[in-house]
Amino acid sequence: MIKFINVSKTFGNKKILDNINLEIEKNKITCLIGESGCGKTTLLKMINRLNDPTSGIITINGKNILKEDPIKLRRNIGYVIQQTGLFPHMTIEENIEIIPRIEKAPQKVMEKKTLELMDMIDLNPNEYLKRYPSELSGGQQQRIGIARAFATDPNIILMDEPFSALDPVTRLSLQDELIKIQNKHKKTIVFVTHDMDEAIKLADKIAILESGHIIQYDTPEMILKAPANNYVKEFVGTKRIWSSPELIKVEDIMIAHPVTCTPEYSIFYCLNKMRMMKVDTLMVVNEENVLLGILYASNLTGITDYDKKAKDFIEKDFLATHPQDSIIDLVGLINEQKITTMPVIDKKGKLKGLITRSTLLTYMSKQFLKDGEK
Amino acid sequence: MAFLDYLFSNFSEILDLLIEHIKLTSLSVLIAIIIGVPIGILICYIKKIGRPVLAFANIMQAIPSMALLGFTIPFLGIGTIPAILMVVLYSLLPIIKNTYTGIANINPQMIEAATGIGLTKWQILTKVQIPLALPVIMSGIRISAVSAVGLMTLAAFCGAGGLGYLVYAGIRSINNYQILSGAIPACLLALFIDYVLGIIENLVTPKYNKDKTKKGFFKREKTQKAILIIVGILLIVLLIFPMFFQEKNDREITIGSMDFTEQEILSYMIKDLIEDRTDIKVNQKLSLGSSSIVLSAIKENDIDLYIDYTGTIYGSVLKKDPNSNINEVYQISKKELKETYDLNILNDLNFSNTYTLAVTKETAQKYNLRTISDLSIVSKELIFSPTLVFMERTDCWLGLQKAYPIAFKDVIALDGAPRYLALMNKESDVIDAYSTDGLLKKYDLVVLEDDKNFFLPYQAIPIVNNRILEEFPEIIPLLEELSNYLNDNIMRELNYLVDEERIEPKEVAQNFLIQNNLITKETI
Repeated sequence: MIKFINVSKTFGNKKILDNINLEIEKNKITCLIGESGCGKTTLLKMINRLNDPTSGIITINGKNILKEDPIKLRRNIGYVIQQTGLFPHMTIEENIEIIPRIEKAPQKVMEKKTLELMDMIDLNPNEYLKRYPSELSGGQQQRIGIARAFATDPNIILMDEPFSALDPVTRLSLQDELIKIQNKHKKTIVFVTHDMDEAIKLADKIAILESGHIIQYDTPEMILKAPANNYVKEFVGTKRIWSSPELIKVEDIMIAHPVTCTPEYSIFYCLNKMRMMKVDTLMVVNEENVLLGILYASNLTGITDYDKKAKDFIEKDFLATHPQDSIIDLVGLINEQKITTMPVIDKKGKLKGLITRSTLLTYMSKQFLKDGEK
Repeated sequence: MAFLDYLFSNFSEILDLLIEHIKLTSLSVLIAIIIGVPIGILICYIKKIGRPVLAFANIMQAIPSMALLGFTIPFLGIGTIPAILMVVLYSLLPIIKNTYTGIANINPQMIEAATGIGLTKWQILTKVQIPLALPVIMSGIRISAVSAVGLMTLAAFCGAGGLGYLVYAGIRSINNYQILSGAIPACLLALFIDYVLGIIENLVTPKYNKDKTKKGFFKREKTQKAILIIVGILLIVLLIFPMFFQEKNDREITIGSMDFTEQEILSYMIKDLIEDRTDIKVNQKLSLGSSSIVLSAIKENDIDLYIDYTGTIYGSVLKKDPNSNINEVYQISKKELKETYDLNILNDLNFSNTYTLAVTKETAQKYNLRTISDLSIVSKELIFSPTLVFMERTDCWLGLQKAYPIAFKDVIALDGAPRYLALMNKESDVIDAYSTDGLLKKYDLVVLEDDKNFFLPYQAIPIVNNRILEEFPEIIPLLEELSNYLNDNIMRELNYLVDEERIEPKEVAQNFLIQNNLITKETI
């Protein structure tokens, strides 16, 4: 949709953006994030040509925007910034309709559109259209800002830290609102923020910038789980993931190579293996690694005939979990069933790993320990 | 109460001057807005020229207004144009500065937002910048307009009229009522303009920072708009209407006068005489200033006729050396003025207004003064207060010091009638005076004899341009007829009536003409 090809930008001697290559996907929310001065806003403003690159090309749907009329380009791209973006001497109605009026849209069409937009942002048109921005709260002003960006029905909407000046409660509700709007209208939204929580909440894709470079461009999940380098790790914060626990998957915490045996093993062998590996259960698998059952040490107490096979004692009625299940599902399951050990299998029943109460405990306890104390 | 009487008896004149003042002021401010606002906007975009432009406007404001007016007269002649130019130049600074400040102080983020949503530069200017800066621009216009009302009083100096005429005529003849009758309307006009522009400022201020709950008749927007509309209509009527009635009359001449009583009386005499005896319409430009200003006015054909004095033409215009031969001075002046400026000197008006020096009776007795030679002996103990003009002329102060061994303790130049006040208050001892000056009689001063015949003869002479000779020759015998009824004593008497008895120059002139059967009816 929007493509940056070898884009660089220098102001004087200072390199703000250094050879950026980025493809922003259609109908997704892409967050540009980084510390102040990293170039994220500069990058955003290149899309509506408030800044032009020093070198490189930017295309939208394959067309080089540097060759287009900037006025025409901007009118087809929504633009939302902090409160100052509304014109204080115009009413809400005039603010929303400013571009349609300039483009001489028919009065009726304009009125209808404005009512739709007010409905979209959940403000009563009768109450607010004739008011001035200063008569509205910060959150309401920002909703109007969003409505204005949608007024020309653009495919692309740029948002430059639109919520950063709002109080936390308002910010959260506006984020929810934006998600709701996006689910319905499916725009290509490029969203600059310095708030990682906001980015993780809103974004389909996040681009992390550091001094003019994109150091990681990925889904929120991957950024949390697999930070590209220490900078990202620092920036994201090691504990960050706990604010989005649904992103922690079973496969992230399971014991990847549980101790196994085949059904044909003798009890003697099995007990011996348990002792050696210091486990009290064995996963019983066939040659294809398909899980057949669980052999509990507790089921073998008092057995004298050590030549009996494992298959005679396996528990075939077991609960299993899947690699893509989240930690939340897992904790719920373990609590409900009061079990201590749970195998992880894939769709074909193959054994992938093992979760025990102690692995869960170890993992969760990490968030209370500093990195060095592990 | 006497002041109110004065007001009522001169009501129509004051009203005319007030209307003239409003016209001049509103025209000037309008021009200043038309020039100033675009310049203010321009320097927001072209930062390089901002400093020089503001510096220029600052300098304009720092130049003494009288000087500015003086500079423009040689180029633009007299009348409304130099007055308007001066006020425009003075009004520019607050307008340019406020326009610049108003626009430059708009949050740049808002401009970026406007650019970002796709407004063109022009749309940003007209839809965002100007509306947001308008309250600041309006307050600049308000400052300009109020100070323009005051400044416009100077317009009287170059014959543009307005309330300043009353003020300066009042100062000249030491008539406080006349000063007040000019100053008070000017003051009220300034307050009124401030009020009206205040309303506009209020209306253009975006509603967002306005208290909507304002109550009271005059605070309501509807009332304010109504006031504005009424004022607007009145202004249009004042400015536009006269244009339809101002048919250019071919049979029309303009006479000028300098800024002292005698000149004004003569101006009215000539006007009344011509209008009574002929079909010619006479416009007056009163109190234009010194001889050189009036002369430049006739050179520019702003006026057709005025009264000057042979000595002035001979000494300061033609730069001749002192000469006490009356006839020679007249003939040479007449010949050379025609050659140099193509202007015509007619026959003299049979009186002279020579320079002289005067002291109080007390001083004369104390030092036993009769002649200027007597004065020279004791001059070290005395303070001299001449007019500014007297100071700078070779045929006056500069030459006088050569002709007589005269050296005063101090020389403090003052203009016009305040000299007499300084003399009476003993702040000075000697003043220069004109021999026909009514104030000489009023204060009972002793005129010192020019025993070395230093001062040039100053016969009063009408100076006319060729237009008078060619188109209105009938005026010439009228002036000769008038001269039969004038002499030094009569002129001093007439001046006295104005300066001391507080009779209007117009009335004095009329009464004189009627008493001598020069005109048959009153022309009021």
